[in-house]
Amino acid sequence: MCKIIYHPKYKLYDLGEGHPFDPIRVEMMLDLLKELNYPVELETPDAVSPEILYSIHDELYVKTVEALSQGENYSEVEKYGLGTIDNPVAPGMAEGARYQTGGTLLAAKLLIEEKTKKVLQLGGGFHHAHKNLAAGFCIYNDLALAIKQMTDHGWHVAYIDIDVHHCDGVQEIFYSDGKVMTISLHESGEFLFPGTGWIHELGKGMGRSLKLNVPLDPFTEGDSYIEVMNGIIEPALKWFHPDVLVVMAGADAHYSDPLADLMLTTIDYENVFRKILNFADLYSNGKVIFTLGGGYSITATPRIWTILYLLLRNLEIPEKIPESWRHKWGKLVNNKFPEFMHDQLPAYEPIPRKPEIEKHNRDLIRRINDSVVQYWI
Amino acid sequence: MLIREVMHPEPITVSPTTKLNEAYNIMEKEGIRHLPVMGNNKLVGIVTDRDLRLATSKLTKHPCEVETEIKEIMSHPVQTTNPSDPIEIATRTMRELKIGCLPVVEDIKLVGIVTGMDLLDALLMLTGVYLPSGRLDVRLLNKSGELARLTALLAERKINIHSILTYPDKEGKIRLVLRVGTIEMKMLAKIICNAGFEVVWPINIACVK
Repeated sequence: MCKIIYHPKYKLYDLGEGHPFDPIRVEMMLDLLKELNYPVELETPDAVSPEILYSIHDELYVKTVEALSQGENYSEVEKYGLGTIDNPVAPGMAEGARYQTGGTLLAAKLLIEEKTKKVLQLGGGFHHAHKNLAAGFCIYNDLALAIKQMTDHGWHVAYIDIDVHHCDGVQEIFYSDGKVMTISLHESGEFLFPGTGWIHELGKGMGRSLKLNVPLDPFTEGDSYIEVMNGIIEPALKWFHPDVLVVMAGADAHYSDPLADLMLTTIDYENVFRKILNFADLYSNGKVIFTLGGGYSITATPRIWTILYLLLRNLEIPEKIPESWRHKWGKLVNNKFPEFMHDQLPAYEPIPRKPEIEKHNRDLIRRINDSVVQYWI
Repeated sequence: MLIREVMHPEPITVSPTTKLNEAYNIMEKEGIRHLPVMGNNKLVGIVTDRDLRLATSKLTKHPCEVETEIKEIMSHPVQTTNPSDPIEIATRTMRELKIGCLPVVEDIKLVGIVTGMDLLDALLMLTGVYLPSGRLDVRLLNKSGELARLTALLAERKINIHSILTYPDKEGKIRLVLRVGTIEMKMLAKIICNAGFEVVWPINIACVK
């Protein structure tokens, strides 16, 4: 049975009114499960201590984040990426981040202790957090800490990042690590934050050919996305033979996301999740951790993560969203919350450049495979 | 950006009497393709791996023996640059003459060497992404104050600019690509669009009141 991890204190990671990384997204999801009468049993994690984070982040960086979070003033916070429009200094942010990091770490522990094979952590996914730089709404890299816990246990970890942004923080931390494969599917850095994640970024030293990046064309649709998963993720996992998959399940590749330009529907997301679960069965003995991540469309994100939850618990995906729930949360979106769990097709106008985009993405599959073939022997 | 910032100081050199095979071995060992030739502490010529290979190839009419002296095949006089030249001048010289490197000379003294690869590094430095950032592509009117007006909008919102690139476009406007320290590019693009700028990317940004 898949274990679900959450702590109400995750909500302390609140970067302020109007900030897109809003704890309400998970609250809406949990409330939806309640309205659907699905019982949610939660494992509650402890917050990690600041010292635990020193294995990923510089001590001075952690101390600065902690002090700022408690209201102390520092003048040079911008060099740490803090006090910026994306990462404003918010009271309690460090504690909230440490709770969420504790959740991802707990996921790793549950797998290591063989308590379960599948975990859904209803938070975390801070893939832009660097060694000593906050960026893209992230301050502490929970993913890196959990992955490290598992490699210290002797495992090989395949990290799959389906957030629409490149996982620059995670990739950088494990760039030379031979026990960690990172695979990131994202909108091309030519167009989207953070600007990295090119196909030539293949890792260094022992990590060479273990870091894969698929910079997708803007307006890439579900079919092409799945083609890329088959063409790149599957052969990679087949060759690497990981002990576990860690999946950062950002929901911002949805067509309605306000920050990016990919065109996945909720139906595509269901297919993507099913495929990853299938990959876990085939290549990592069923072991997989999912974290949340980006996803800034208030109407889409709670539905996508609910679908993920239901798939992991082998529960049926209901056709309709309960009226009472729509009524309750509809006020956030001018009462325009969709009636159905899944997007109704066609969800958007046809994309004029569709054939070119598919061709471009197909080229990526070929070029990436050509560049790793000499290593994958 | 000046040549002194991108050049390799103290380049490896040979003398006019160095044998072709010796020069070749130096290039192999050091992983380089260009050797300035020094006679009496002065730059008297230059030789490239291509010169060596062509000189000794069976494909040429009169191939040299591998023990021929460098002075027989070296190129001279040598095109050079100065450490305080801007890189674009050196780039133009190399492009026009279709050559792969320029020795850097100051007061008759050889102080460095700059190759095509160094200029590619410079291009990467100018265009590269060194901090997580979003990309804003704007077409500006070619008149004074436009860039200042745009950057003021960023400064007001405490958005740091990591890099600025400009080039003239076909319509006589200025194409401006900024890399800025935020993930929320669409929101920013709307603000910029509302201020009367033509936003090229992110696309489909409609100005909203």
